[in-house]
Amino acid sequence: MTNPRILGTGIAEGLLLKPVTYPWALDLYNQAVANTWFPHEVQLGEDLADFARLTDEERHAVTHLMSYFNPNELLVNKALAFGVYPYVNAAECHLYLAKQMWEEANHCMAFEYVLETFPIDRKAAYASHITVPSMAAKEEFEVKFIRRMTEQTLDINTVEGKRDFVRNLVAYNVILEGIWFYSGFMVALSFRQRNLLRNFASLIDWIVRDESLHLNFGINLILTVLEENPEVASDEFAEEIRSMVLDAVEMEEAYNRDLLPNGILGLNADYINQYVKYLADRRLEELGFEPEYGVTNPAKWMATANDTLQLVNFFESINTSYEVDARSSH
Amino acid sequence: MTTIHVIKRDGTAVPYDGYEIARSIETAARGLDDSMARAVQIQSELEITLFDRMTTEQLDEAVIQVALQNVKEDPAFDTIAARLAVKGLYKRVFGATDDLFGDGSPDTIVALHRSRFDSYIHAGVSAGLLDARLAGTFRLDELAAALDPRRDDLLHYIGVATMRTRYLLTTAPNAAGARHPIEVPQFFWMRVAMGLSLNEADPSTAAIDFYHRMSRLEYLAAGSTLVNAGTAHPQLSNCFVMQTEDDIEHIAKSVRDVMWLTKGTGGIGLSMTKLRSEGSPIHSNNTASTGPIPFMHTIDSTLRAISRGGKKFGALCFYMENWHLDFAQFLDLRQNSGDPYRRTRTANTAVWISDEFMKRVRDDSPWYLFDPLDTPDLVELYGSAFSARYAEYVALAEAGKMPRYTMVRAREQFRSILVSLQTTSHPWLTWKDTINTRALNDNTGTIHLSNLCTEICLPQDRDNVAVCNLASINLSRHLQGAGADAVIDWERLRDSTRAAVRQLDNLIDVTLSSVPESQTSNTANRAIGLGVMGFTDIVERCGHAYDSEPAYDLIDEVMEFISYHAIDASADLARDRGAYPNFAGSGWSKGLVPIDTLDALARDRDVAVEVPRTMRLDWDVLRAKVTGGVRNATLLAIAPTASIGLVAGTTPGLDPRFAQLFSRATSAGKFLEVNPNLVADLKKLGLWDEVKEDLLAAQGDVSCIDAIPGHLRDVYRTSFQLSPYAFINVAARAQKWIDQAISRNIYLADRSVQGMAALYLKAWEMGVKTTYYLHMMPRHTAEQSTVRVNKAEKIRPGNAESTTSRPARHGFGFSGATLRSAPASVTPVVVRPLLESSVSVGVEVGVADGAACPTDPQELLQCESCQ
Repeated sequence: MTNPRILGTGIAEGLLLKPVTYPWALDLYNQAVANTWFPHEVQLGEDLADFARLTDEERHAVTHLMSYFNPNELLVNKALAFGVYPYVNAAECHLYLAKQMWEEANHCMAFEYVLETFPIDRKAAYASHITVPSMAAKEEFEVKFIRRMTEQTLDINTVEGKRDFVRNLVAYNVILEGIWFYSGFMVALSFRQRNLLRNFASLIDWIVRDESLHLNFGINLILTVLEENPEVASDEFAEEIRSMVLDAVEMEEAYNRDLLPNGILGLNADYINQYVKYLADRRLEELGFEPEYGVTNPAKWMATANDTLQLVNFFESINTSYEVDARSSH
Repeated sequence: MTTIHVIKRDGTAVPYDGYEIARSIETAARGLDDSMARAVQIQSELEITLFDRMTTEQLDEAVIQVALQNVKEDPAFDTIAARLAVKGLYKRVFGATDDLFGDGSPDTIVALHRSRFDSYIHAGVSAGLLDARLAGTFRLDELAAALDPRRDDLLHYIGVATMRTRYLLTTAPNAAGARHPIEVPQFFWMRVAMGLSLNEADPSTAAIDFYHRMSRLEYLAAGSTLVNAGTAHPQLSNCFVMQTEDDIEHIAKSVRDVMWLTKGTGGIGLSMTKLRSEGSPIHSNNTASTGPIPFMHTIDSTLRAISRGGKKFGALCFYMENWHLDFAQFLDLRQNSGDPYRRTRTANTAVWISDEFMKRVRDDSPWYLFDPLDTPDLVELYGSAFSARYAEYVALAEAGKMPRYTMVRAREQFRSILVSLQTTSHPWLTWKDTINTRALNDNTGTIHLSNLCTEICLPQDRDNVAVCNLASINLSRHLQGAGADAVIDWERLRDSTRAAVRQLDNLIDVTLSSVPESQTSNTANRAIGLGVMGFTDIVERCGHAYDSEPAYDLIDEVMEFISYHAIDASADLARDRGAYPNFAGSGWSKGLVPIDTLDALARDRDVAVEVPRTMRLDWDVLRAKVTGGVRNATLLAIAPTASIGLVAGTTPGLDPRFAQLFSRATSAGKFLEVNPNLVADLKKLGLWDEVKEDLLAAQGDVSCIDAIPGHLRDVYRTSFQLSPYAFINVAARAQKWIDQAISRNIYLADRSVQGMAALYLKAWEMGVKTTYYLHMMPRHTAEQSTVRVNKAEKIRPGNAESTTSRPARHGFGFSGATLRSAPASVTPVVVRPLLESSVSVGVEVGVADGAACPTDPQELLQCESCQ
């Protein structure tokens, strides 16, 4: 038996799915397919009335979130296309990545759908990721890792090449999707706890469900690369990765102060940033580090919003738990 | 932190006063365990959410939200939130008081209720919100004296929130679009009771009686009645049942009627079976029909355009028989992809299934689909007469004499129905022959469909839009004691049943219909449907498992009792007020009661109805009595009670606990619900604090929490752990006694379509008339936020024996620089390829699969046998 290698460059490899080397990737692919949804399944009519009733700062917060999510879903796709897909050999991973890329596109279209429906200044919203410094900083942080692949040559057979691969994965998967997006999801879902923007929250439910799989895949991929290539994770490199996460928390703190300069019912910037630190600790632990911040989760209500099975009064709310592709046997 | 200012209602800013908040929370926590500690906790969690210049209303709401986020720790927090929310209603209706939360003294609250009731009624009438008769018909002082605000403490938070968003009468919207309630909960109950007593000889006495029963939550009227009773728009009926005829005038009229009925807040069942199929000839202009599908889309759109009673969007269920040539397209109506003009995003769908089809599935025979233009009499036939006529059409088709038809394997179509059901939860399966053959109201035509919630069985035609009027008895308010000592309070149950029947009968004389055809039907049939809620609640308190013989016997006995007394009450009303106009020729007039129709069904379909026939009461007396007249064409139906069950604070209808801890998404928001019976039982054993964290991690499934004793794990099995046959058994035992039907929700963990086929065949065999939503257990849910999650640490049950081994390390964990306690040796984990294995492990939460090694690297790290 030869040692499997999840990384590689040869396009000749990875053209046959069977035998499956990494069954976890195929499982994730199957679940991702079952999770397929479309933005138009959600009607936003009732949310429009809610949006009109929001305070100025609440409207600002929703707009700020959309302005950030919308371009960054596509940024994730670039990271996948340029930084992950070309360097992975296993066909089952390619299948999953293809589905994930469609999901990122679908998320972008979901935010477009909301942007086009809500009375939001779209021009300003589209410009924010450049004009708002805290947003631009996060974007620049991400883009610099993709540049390593797009503007320079990366040799995946070298230790340094593999490290660049891991850096990029940590940057977009663990940090962007696993920390930054998750803090935004919490803010977005908080409106539903006050019985506002319920249908928008249904879209977020679906997006979170997808993102949970993305994160699962990304962390599995990182762990597998590190296990197959023990030379990659030197002390120095480990410290670098850890610093990346800590830097990301600082950038997110600045961003959240712009998101909520004063506060809205149930939330202020300090509160969100405690949640960010809580998330960062979780991601650090999943990567094998000790936690940094040791804070508690301030948003206990996320147990209701996200952690439990939900029973839907289907005349009043959209059921986001359904899956496609029933099978006649298994 | 900088000083926080709070903006009061008058616009002035005052510094945030922690002492005042603390006092208010303590008041709301009075009488609860650990009330001081809970108040301190809420206050400290509140203070991290504050921001400068928040309004007093925002502050009030923030306190409630903070209390609610702790419900997973203890249901006592729900009580605190509910009391604070009720207090908010007091403040809104009775006016602002000198501090942020008003005066909490119970005596003051009672006095305010009594002194303000009269002005509430008169102001409501002047504003055109209340029925003008409320001011002149009643002895208002007597009614005011009956008000008992202590009963507000019976409400859970979700009950208050539901009441607030759905039922309480509000002002017209102000400039900011906000509507404010003009009634507190006890005013609301009294308003509904008054609205249902207007036709009584002594309206005040009747209203006080209905008020006491509803405010004690012993039974509740259904949604539309709670919204509109006593108001200037008394559209009180709940369900409307109609069928579109195969002509363009009537299609247009159906669209119109759907709009009017929706505006009046009713739910609608609409059969489209009669419409000729796509491509069928239209002789008037020599073209071809587009079939029923585009019209269903048109009607679907109108549901979104008209909001129901101004409070939520319209709700409708399309019915179609599965021999219709366009049935395959009907199955696609709820798909989330495809041509949007051939989809119904809002409307639900149900299939109206014959015994003939079920037998063909059983026998693996072919199934023929026809154009209703060629087979116009099939919709009017049922049972063996349908089978005979269907066979003739099949023979014509096989002889080449049928212009248009297709043939499929019956099993293939059944499979398509079930696959659609699993992926979209539609269409619901309903059995037309069980319904029609068992009907006692069979003298006024064929029943062509059920209603929005599949519990109504009423005939309709071009001149009659069938109407039903619903109420539900809250079983949990009729059980005394706990465990082995638990007993039903039969006397109270009888009184509740009789009062509810009288109240429903009154409704028919008070209600105004928005469509003349429904007024006709309501007057001629006086159909009502009394049901129950709280079944699981009482089963748990008796210490039974939902899927046990004692539980099945309990529902059997309770429904026999309610059925008996409902029929008896209706027969008494007939003596007093006269039988319903269409009584002559009905099953009742022949001395039949619901249980008598079971054998007729078995004979007609020649398939046994597998359900015990035990009778505990003297039905012969009642058989004789009903020949002298009953007041109502139908009496019993078990509705879903998805909303009123929340106000009643109990489990809806016959539903099991969805999970012991779960979230509920409604139009009032998303709420965490933890089973108070389970918490009470665990507290008695001193186990609650130990297991509550595990309960959340396990998403409310106690079966995998070893610390909980086995018998409690049996009693508290949840929807997805129960055998789905339990839902069928409970429904079949209740259905014996019910002349209409049951909104039977089904919950399934297993996605095998063969398993579903066996289950639904069994439901038909056992005489279940209808099924309702199918809830599938999600295989994958989002990563939990409030539970400590490290995907790499998940210990798999199969490896329990190796807990003494060192903890696994992974990722960057071997790097000494980043670990506080570096391990002595470094052993990178090798991912073992499981080429030969196709076992599926991975993303499921809490899957116990000890036999196979995990393939997920995050889990593999924990599998000792792989290392």
